[in-house]
Order: sequence, then structure tokens, then C-alpha cells
Amino acid sequence: MMRKTLVVVTALFATSFPSVGKAQGALSLQGLGYPPGQISARAEGTGGGVADFDALSLTTPASLAGVGAAALFLQYSPEFRRVTTSGGSANTITARFPLVEGVLPVGQSWTVALSSSTFLDRSSETSLARTQVVGEPPGDTVTLVEQNKVLGAINDVRLALAWSNSPVFRIGVGGHVFAGSNRITFSNLFPDSAEFISSTQVNRISYAGLAASIGLEWHPSRAIGFAVSGRKGGDLRAQSGDTAIGSAKLPDHYSASVLFEGIPGTTISFRAAHDNWSTLSALSSTGIQAFDGWDIGGGLEASGPRILQRIVTVRLGGRARTLPFGFNGEKVSEKTFAFGLGAPLTRDRAAIDLAIQRASRTTASSNVQERGFILSIGLRVSP
Amino acid sequence: MKLSSNLPRLLATAALFVSILSCSENLDSSGVCSVLCPVVGGEVKNITIDAVVIDTTVPSLSGLGTEAGLLLASRGDTLDTRVVVRFDSLPEKFTPTGDTARAIASVDSAYIRFTLDTLSIKGAEPVTIEAYDVDTTANDTSTAAVLALFRPDRFISSQTFARAQLTDTLKYFISNAVVLAKIQNRTALRIGLRATGPASSQMRFISVEGGFGPNLFFRATPDTTTVPQTVAPFSKTPVGASILAANLTDYTVIAKAPPGAPPSVLSVGGLPARRVYIRFNIPDSIIDSATVVRATLLLNQLPNTAIDPTDTVLLLPEVVLAGTAVIDPAKAGQIIGTISVDTLRLTPGGSGVKNVELARAFTLWHTQSPDSLPRAIVLKSLTEGNTAIELRFSSSEDIAALRPRLRISYTAKVPLGLP
Repeated sequence: MMRKTLVVVTALFATSFPSVGKAQGALSLQGLGYPPGQISARAEGTGGGVADFDALSLTTPASLAGVGAAALFLQYSPEFRRVTTSGGSANTITARFPLVEGVLPVGQSWTVALSSSTFLDRSSETSLARTQVVGEPPGDTVTLVEQNKVLGAINDVRLALAWSNSPVFRIGVGGHVFAGSNRITFSNLFPDSAEFISSTQVNRISYAGLAASIGLEWHPSRAIGFAVSGRKGGDLRAQSGDTAIGSAKLPDHYSASVLFEGIPGTTISFRAAHDNWSTLSALSSTGIQAFDGWDIGGGLEASGPRILQRIVTVRLGGRARTLPFGFNGEKVSEKTFAFGLGAPLTRDRAAIDLAIQRASRTTASSNVQERGFILSIGLRVSP
Repeated sequence: MKLSSNLPRLLATAALFVSILSCSENLDSSGVCSVLCPVVGGEVKNITIDAVVIDTTVPSLSGLGTEAGLLLASRGDTLDTRVVVRFDSLPEKFTPTGDTARAIASVDSAYIRFTLDTLSIKGAEPVTIEAYDVDTTANDTSTAAVLALFRPDRFISSQTFARAQLTDTLKYFISNAVVLAKIQNRTALRIGLRATGPASSQMRFISVEGGFGPNLFFRATPDTTTVPQTVAPFSKTPVGASILAANLTDYTVIAKAPPGAPPSVLSVGGLPARRVYIRFNIPDSIIDSATVVRATLLLNQLPNTAIDPTDTVLLLPEVVLAGTAVIDPAKAGQIIGTISVDTLRLTPGGSGVKNVELARAFTLWHTQSPDSLPRAIVLKSLTEGNTAIELRFSSSEDIAALRPRLRISYTAKVPLGLP
């Protein structure tokens, strides 16, 4: 009799688990997370306009050919975010190191680079207090706190090769390995440990995928330049331990840019890119929708005042893009205004770029407002 | 010029300052969770199962004299307990003030000081406490041999206390001549106390095991400037069994106690004290595959009106830490660990379903295989050995509706991973 009961209980436990979603806590953190953009502090200061001509941005391999000298580049980009809803607001600080790159010219025409950049950052933490009835009806009503913490990102590790034998034309190809993990900690915290059992679950999801990219850069005159690039995504697989839990195509990425240098000391750039983010919808267990989207931006880069015998570069830019993952079925759009500075250091053997971006993210109909300041500090060193 | 030279430094300083600020990451977005955080955990479900595979009453404590209190009770035909205190080592010399040591030739103002648990006192009438010489060469643990010594030719003295005199420190004066004789004859002073009086009475002294044991005081000279002698309880026997001897420095002797529960009934408390040992067979699917948020043992209490049916007893569940090698429940029931600071307050006369929370036991069992740690608990009274009150519960031998059952509240494990 008891054996029968246990069998029934076992079956009941095995079949009654619902599938549930995950807390995110911000518009920009839906789905697999926020894409920092894979562009350098310099490009961020111009609204991304100069990214396809910038050797330190990872949107195209062709621009590597213009790096000039071997260089190491590291970028730190903390984001100070405020999210406001009808039910309250939250201020967060997210520390990111979105870019690290090493570039090495080989001979007169070739340049090779190895880089790693943050593709999608999912770091978030939330605590949701709610009432819960425990026990046979009428049961005891207790306040349960659900703590959900996700740390980690999917990163894009790229090995790229670029060729150029004149300032007119550059071409580059890249091989990408997308790898990373999300460490997820979920806790159910009850107030009275004598009666209730608080619990914590921990899991680690790892991701792996491949992609290839190509870029072209053409400067028909000293005043104007054009660039196009594309990245073709392969399969992105997600695993929990040894178990495959999902796969999707990495989104294809295409961009086209124009650069105008007809005004001495000034560069005006414009870039339009498209990402097929929707392919990542397959990597959601709760039906979170990903949207294809445009990333359009432009800006101005001009030689500024001479300070301490160094010419400081001043940048201004604006950018609008669609974030990959929607909220309540609606697209999340991001608008950014940027200001940046750049200065050479130690007899041009190093350079520092600063950018501060004011980003606002919204959906078409929700009352959620998200504002953020992203401070980027990029340091390039030529050994 | 001055501004231009300071500007880079100002910018660098500002950037450094902001960078340092951002080093302490703060990801907590709880403030917007009412809108942006969907409920993750699932609905709490409940299930009640017959998971008990063994339930039995086992003796508590590890032997005579291990209790933290000494119960002195005289309650007619219901309860009669005595208290024995052993002073097997008495001083033979003392040092008068300003003089050298000399043999004790007189005893004055001899008394035993007890620490009394005033909350344990029952009866409003005066109570007379009689003292008997219970020194004997009989078996140390023989209750019958000690009880036989509470007879007139062993009588030492008596003292009557009004209820108001029963305070937390009780001075019980005994015959000076008897103490002196024991000193001079180099024999053990073993005092047996019995309560008598016109009405029922009951009180509990703190024992040596309880931290505030009785002590013997006397003056070896009428000179009040000389420091009184203080003698702590000590037992020289049984020889070669020092732990048992230490337990027997003071102990309770049960002359009469309410009859115990029948074997088919689970019994907690009483005299001699008893515990309930329960072992469960809990499906692994519950402990491993679901998230248990509450576990409650449902016990059907049977009324026991034998003694103090309306008094409160604090029932404490503890987890059995004995491994599978210990198959005797009586022995396993002694190897236990505290899992709850909360107690269940019950009265012996109560009845019906009582809930015993086992949350912390499940927390432990979740980390241990049942092959190494059986899913077993012990139910004990917080005052076991210090009171005759006994709680009774239906066992698994009772009809199905009254048997112990386990009610488990659980949620599905959250599939952590893809959003």
C-alpha cells in the first residue's frame, strides 16, 4: 500500500513542474542580455559612425589594416542605469570590460589581430517579495522573497587578418568563436527558518558558436571613404553541464558606413547596420521574442584645443538602435547621445579615449523608462 | 593658459573618480520588480503521505542521575519521587581564624543549599521534607535498595516549609550530630529526601548536571568569624565507573509514577523519561527533484489525564544523527542533533492532530544520502526527566486516519538556464 503511495508521489513530482521565466529587472536586460556594441570608446563618441573605419572597433576586420603600429587596447565601460516604473525605480551600476584587443602588423601589407568583446551581457540581480500560501487550505500566508542573480555574458573572440597596400583599399576577414557562460543563482527565502525551508539553486549555462566576417574599406579620395562589412553567424549552442539545452543561429550582421574628411581637422561619419537578432528567439525557454533591428548612428570628430602640447580630439555623436530582446512582445529601442575626448600620451606611444553616452530605452506602449550613463575609458598602448 | 593646463588633469581625475565609484558593482534592480520581474517560483503544492516505516517509544537519557533536575514529589497514589545527594568525601580538619589546622570536633548550623526551580512548585500547602541516611553497600543503581532505606531507623531530621518559604535558594538544615558522626567515623554522608505533608506537593531542585547542584555547609566551630565549610556532592561508588559515579552524586529515585502508555501508543516524557523515535521513507523524488518549502509531521494526540493534564509541555523535534550502522532505535534515539529552536507547546490532556515542523531536518537530509543518514527524528520533551507529565500519540499501529503522516509543501524546481 505504502509502496503504491510512493510511486504515485514520485510520478506526481515528476510531472507537475511548470516552466517558468526569469526575472530581468530592466528593459535592456531582457532575454540573453544587453549588447554593448563591440565598438571602441572612440567610435562610441561619434555615435558609432566611425566604427567601420576604426581598427579598435570589432565591427569589421578591414579597418585593422589602418592601425599603423602594433597595439594593445583595453576598454572599461561602467553603466550607471536608472529604471523607473509605475511601481518604483532602481539605480544600478554595471561594470563591463567590453573590449580587449591585440593588433600586430605583419610586413608591409598584412595585419593580424586577436580580440575579445562582450556580445551579450546578461548580468542582473533582482529580489521580488510576494505573498505565498503554504499548507493545506486555508494554509499560512507568508512573505516569500525570490532572489534571482545572473552573472556572465556571451563573448565574441575574433582572430582577424587584414590586407592593404595603399590607403585607398583595405580588406579583412575574421573568424569568430562565440563563447561564454551565465551563472544563475535562484533563492527562495522564507522568513521563519523553523517552519519553512529556504532554498538556493545554482546553475551554469555555457554557450558556444562560430561565425565568420569580412570587411571592405574604400577611400576613393582623401576626403571621403566607404566601408561595408558583414558577419555570417553559425550555430550557437547552449549547454547545462553536459546536456544541450538549446541552439540557435547567431545573428547575421551587416553594416555600411561613409566617412567625410573634406573639412581639415574634422571627420564626419555615418553608419547603418542591421542585425538579425530574431534568430536568437530559439534560445528562449519562455518565448521571449527577439527582433531584427537597425543600428544607425553618426557623429563628428574634430581636432580640439592643444593641451600640454597635445592635440585633444573632441567627438559628438548620436545613435539609435533596436535592442535584441523585446519586453511584453514589443521592441525595445535605444537612443544615445555621446560626447568624447581623445588624447595621445607618452609621445604617441599610447592614447586614451573617453566617451560618455546618455542612453534612453523605451518600448512603444509600456510605462517603463530606462536611462543610463555609460562611461567608456579606452587605453591603447603601442609597445 | 592656466585652465588649459589643468583641464586634462581635471578630466583624468573625474574619470578616475567615476571609475572607482563603478568598481563596486550594484546590479540589484529590486525596486522595479513589481513591473519587470515576473514571478519565478511556481505554486506551492501540498501532499500528505504515509512515510513512517518505524515509530516506537524509546527510553531517554543515558542512565540514572543524568537529568538536569531533581524531582521531589509527593502526590498521593499518583507520583512519589525522592532525591538522593551523596557527600562521600567530608573534610576532617579545618583552620580557625588566626590559627593552624585542627581536627573537626564539632558541627554547627549544618544545611544543604538547594537551587529551586520555583516554576516547578505544585501545591499551596506547607510541605515537610524529611531526610534519611541512605548510605548502603547495595548495588548503586538499585532503586529498591535505596527506597528501602526511607524508614524510621534511618531518619535524620525534617523541616517544614510554608509555600512562601520556597524561594529559589532553599536552605535545608540537617542534624549537626549526624554530620559530625559521619566526619568522625569517616563514612559517607548520603542524604535521601522525601516530601510529606497534608496535601500534594512537588518541586524540582537543580542538579549538578543542571549546573547549580546542592552543596553542604556547616561550621566546624561556634566561632562565627571562621569561614564555614563547604562540601560539594561527590560519589566514590561504583568503583571503576567514574562516569556513573559522577551521575550518582545527586539523582531522583522514583518510588511511584503514573503507569506508562501501552506499547501501541507513542509516549513522550513521563517517568522514567521516554522519547519517540520515528524513521521515514521519503521518496528521493521529493527531496532531490522538488524544492521542499515546508515539512510537517502530523501526529494524532491522545489525551492523557493521569497527571497535570492542563500543564504545558514543550515538545522538541530533533534529527537522528546515528548512521545506518546503528539499527537499534533505542540507541539511535540518543544520537541526535538540534534542528529547531522552536518548540511545540502541548498539554497532556489535549487531543487531535498536532503539527510538528521538520523544515530543518529536510535541509539536512537534502545534503545526505539515506544510505548514510536515515531519515529519522526523535520527539522529546524539553523537560524530560524533570517531570512526570507524558504526551501520548497514535502510532502507525493505529487505524489509518490516526497514524503519523508527513505533509510536504513543495514547489517545482525552477529550470534555471535559458531566459
